[in-house]
Amino acid sequence: MTTLNAPETAVTEGQGTLPDFTAEVYKDAYSRINAIVIEGEQEAYDNYMDLGTLIPENKDELAKLARMEMKHMKGFTSCGRNLGVKADMPFAKKFFEPLHGNFQKALKENKVVTCLLIQALLIEAFAISAYHIYIPVADPFAKKITEGVVKDEYLHLNYGELWLKTNFEASKEELFAANKENLPLIRSMLEQVASDAAALHMEKEDLIEDFLIGYQEALSEIGFNMREIARMAAAALV
Amino acid sequence: MFGLIGHSKSFDAARRNALDLGLDFIADGDLDVWCMAPPQLVEHVEVTSPVGTTIEGAYIDSCFVPEMLSRFKTARRKVLNAMELAQKKGINITALGGFTSIIFENFNLLQHQTVRSTSLQWQRFTTGNTHTAWVICRQVENNAPSLGIDLKKAKVAVVGATGDIGSAVCRWLTARTGVGELLLVARQQQPLLDLKSSLGGGRILTLDEALPEADVVVWVASMPRTLEIDQDSLRKPCLMIDGGYPKNLDTKVAGGGIHVLKGGIVEFCRDIGWRMMALAEMERPQRQMFACFAEAMLLEFERCHTNFSWGRNNITLEKMDFIGAASERHGFSTLNLYPNLQAAMV
Repeated sequence: MTTLNAPETAVTEGQGTLPDFTAEVYKDAYSRINAIVIEGEQEAYDNYMDLGTLIPENKDELAKLARMEMKHMKGFTSCGRNLGVKADMPFAKKFFEPLHGNFQKALKENKVVTCLLIQALLIEAFAISAYHIYIPVADPFAKKITEGVVKDEYLHLNYGELWLKTNFEASKEELFAANKENLPLIRSMLEQVASDAAALHMEKEDLIEDFLIGYQEALSEIGFNMREIARMAAAALV
Repeated sequence: MFGLIGHSKSFDAARRNALDLGLDFIADGDLDVWCMAPPQLVEHVEVTSPVGTTIEGAYIDSCFVPEMLSRFKTARRKVLNAMELAQKKGINITALGGFTSIIFENFNLLQHQTVRSTSLQWQRFTTGNTHTAWVICRQVENNAPSLGIDLKKAKVAVVGATGDIGSAVCRWLTARTGVGELLLVARQQQPLLDLKSSLGGGRILTLDEALPEADVVVWVASMPRTLEIDQDSLRKPCLMIDGGYPKNLDTKVAGGGIHVLKGGIVEFCRDIGWRMMALAEMERPQRQMFACFAEAMLLEFERCHTNFSWGRNNITLEKMDFIGAASERHGFSTLNLYPNLQAAMV
């Protein structure tokens, strides 16, 4: 029951407009975004293989997830090729460096909980949200590939959720600490690519809210209560 | 389970509420932070009707605040994300409260059925407008006589007559109440002409023309902040039902024979252990609520899991009868000028 003073002319703003996929400014931004996606999938492959050494009883399942990531990487590589864009891989390597470093450090210390939070929760939720925002504004070729990838990524998020749920009490403190250390990295990574993402018609606000929805959902599934989740999510917002 | 999607009255109020909920991080954030904050299911509640049926419900704060109205994409996302959350939580019927139902309608969110991997099932949602319209009509019928206004002779102005609630109110007042004359006020002429023809009566006037003639004014339209009402030009007594959102008519006129009543508010027959209506700044937050929210509760009590109020101008007298009967059966009464009015009239 309600009234709204906002002008109705605002309603059509920004709807249904696709970027010009052939524009130089689009391709330039795409060279970095595409590289990040390719590197992200490569990191995911490596991380799931490494996780197999920490959780030997799930080694086969993790190797299966890793192979999916490799398939995604190839798919996204073809997306760049299709648009005639060369992915800026050195940029992407540098982009992932801090998160990569934290994962490797945790791996060396046998911190399986931290490794799972980084890969199976943060990176997966980040990827899923970015892909969801990308699909409506993607070129037809990339759209089809990305839609296929999203379905797989949910499986990966579920793997991490399930493992952490099963081991919730024992993992809780480490999850708090790992969240505090790594979630700000995700936020700063988002900030770094915000202008390139905007050139692809993906807005920062959308990306962050979508990421937080996915991440909070995963934390809730694992067993955290609303206040704990809100407190953890704070690291991404402020 | 029933659901309510709401929001705070202002950015400042939202920050205070977040602090109360222990969400300090977001309380400290600026408006940009709030624009990125996901919806939160903040409260579960259990309600038992006088007929003995118990239902469960949940309140979802969309993290929308009125200051975001000018940010079209943000407003749209807030509403859709809150709806997705409601559906994912398995809520059968959820009412869109405050600005959220207007955003849904004015920004044509029907075309955004897919939110991430969720396909929204519209039958799980209601605007609650049918109950709101019925409550406003009952508020007119209950309160005008107490001021000595004889509705059979009275002129009743409906401001926002062509809207979803406004048109339903016009139909009811014509067919059921039988008021002296309906004064129809709205911005656009063609819908007004169509409404007048469908009602078979009523007089189309501008706001300035209608106000001095009206014994009763039902406001269900947006009220520009700059609007000034010349209190001296109004009839006395005059009953004004403030059915808009936010409810701020009493800041424009009050006293001296002008009686302003908050429209579309109901009171449940017993306390409900929730805090969500304190956030909406109800006078008796343990019992009072927006009628649109109560509609979701009524549909759950009645196991009527359907988008009962949906789209524009679909509110029929039969639907108002149904929801009105359910409202009375399950212990709701309308807000009146004088607390004991309804009891005294029974």
